[in-house]
Amino acid sequence: MTDDLTLTTTHTDGHLAALHVRGEIDIHTAPALRTGALDVIARGHPHLILDLTGVTFCDSSGFNALIGVMRCTMAANGSLTLAAVPDRLSRMLDLTGLSTVMPSYPSTEAAMNARPTATPEPA
Amino acid sequence: MSGTPEASPGEPRLRRVPPAEVEAARMEAVRRYDILDTPPDGAFDRVAAMAARLFDVPVASVTIVDADRIWFKAVHGLEGVAQIGRDPGLCGSAILRDDALVIPDTLSDPTARTNPLVTGPLGVRFYAAAPIITADGHRLGTVNILDTTPRLITEADTETLADLAAVVLDAMELRLSGLRLLREEQERRKAEEAARTRAERDTEAITAFATTLQRTLLPPALPTVPGLELACHYQTDSPRDVGGDFYDVFSLGGQRWAFFLGDVCGKGAEAAAVTSLTRYTLRAAAQHHDDPTEVLNALNSALLLDPSMGSRYCTCVFGTLQPAPGGGFTVTVAMGGHPPAFHLQHGDDGAMAVNGIRPSGGMLVGALEGARFASHTFHLAPGHGLLLYTDGLTEARLPDGTMLGEEGVAAFLTTRTTPDAGRLIEDTIALIMDLPTGTGDDVALLALSVPLAPATDQTAAASTARTLATPGAGAARADQER
Repeated sequence: MTDDLTLTTTHTDGHLAALHVRGEIDIHTAPALRTGALDVIARGHPHLILDLTGVTFCDSSGFNALIGVMRCTMAANGSLTLAAVPDRLSRMLDLTGLSTVMPSYPSTEAAMNARPTATPEPA
Repeated sequence: MSGTPEASPGEPRLRRVPPAEVEAARMEAVRRYDILDTPPDGAFDRVAAMAARLFDVPVASVTIVDADRIWFKAVHGLEGVAQIGRDPGLCGSAILRDDALVIPDTLSDPTARTNPLVTGPLGVRFYAAAPIITADGHRLGTVNILDTTPRLITEADTETLADLAAVVLDAMELRLSGLRLLREEQERRKAEEAARTRAERDTEAITAFATTLQRTLLPPALPTVPGLELACHYQTDSPRDVGGDFYDVFSLGGQRWAFFLGDVCGKGAEAAAVTSLTRYTLRAAAQHHDDPTEVLNALNSALLLDPSMGSRYCTCVFGTLQPAPGGGFTVTVAMGGHPPAFHLQHGDDGAMAVNGIRPSGGMLVGALEGARFASHTFHLAPGHGLLLYTDGLTEARLPDGTMLGEEGVAAFLTTRTTPDAGRLIEDTIALIMDLPTGTGDDVALLALSVPLAPATDQTAAASTARTLATPGAGAARADQER
């Protein structure tokens, strides 16, 4: 069991916010990721970039949390973009077809540069 | 022992009968110490021996006065006496007093001289006793010295005798606290044992419950599909939990059949509820939609609609089977975020040719509105096999700690000598069993194969439905052959 998960907002720009996730995402920390991300969405940043560079572990609970966050961004007419996705999570996203709706980039910068194409049409 | 002789006491120093309520409280105290009829004990024996030596008397004893007898806890100089009657005169009278009783010459004492110890063969002429008095004032018994000739003792001697009685009480207190500790320990052990028994019973009940629930989530037996061999395997990670893996094979009427296999996110009762909804939705949707992707769409909607499902979703492969002209089956599979199914056939080089069925873009079912599903149609010809599995297989750990992975499963299948469903399942179970840590997760396996049937009699083509293992135990086995 671990409580080692930190969520740092590294960049905000209008509706966009980039968050740096650090630590392990498991059954104990996934709720913190979820509530932390939802809080940022609620503060007016429905377009989220989650930078997972500092994520050392992500199990299915973490995967579930990402789906939950994505659904919330969509409900707020926003989007979820991932940066620096760990290998195993990347494979899970491919396998489950979610990589098509949750695009990922090597870095936050790359994700922000690609933003025009990644931004869904306004509802 | 010498000194000033104690004045010969006057009447009434010996009461014959104690007040009833005092005696009742006294007996309660005696029982509290739980000493009556206990075997000889060093501390008490030493007090008796010490008393005899200190006072230079032939007989000394430590006695406890019971309701109807005087019981000897320790006795020195008097063999074979364990208890005597509560006749007044000596010990029986001594416990009625707070101070020591000294009878310098029993024959000149009106009460003592009728006591059997005096009139009997022992011929006691001198008797002195100090009562053993508890802190709360109950007189349990006495420390006694007896002689066969009259004598006098000093006040200091009497005090020594009282001290010995106090030593006896200390020993009894010590013994009692030891007994209490022992009893507490025994009670604690008994409580622990009871808790353990209760826990074991609970575990059994939970296991029975999980096993029963699991059984409702899986087909009781695979159907017999003409021209097709079917085999399956199911194991939960723990017999006390309900797994989220599921599979089924069923008729669509006519000669068409459907099959599915998948994995609901999570475990336990909540996952079981989703699994149940998933199975029945797939079965019902399969009757209304010919296109397998439509079936997964229906499941996606059902999972999203049900408010009780929360963020529950599943990965799933759903397929239909239709006899193909010229033998075998036309198979259409739709994928919903599930690992690829493997299509096996004998290759040209003697090895098994293994093809991963991976229609691209098939998404997780029940996670998103408008999720897209993809399908792929192929011919499962005579001599071909198809293996479906859940990620408990691909995520099983190899001895070096890495996961088996899809590549590992494909490589394993390449080395098979036959694509027969039964053998595929048996071999795959053996593969899992050989892994050092087992699977660590639920595993569902479903294999389909078309035997190289003799073309002479289509209806006599071999078909096998085989359930290799039931949930949990993995031992039960049901074979149906036709």
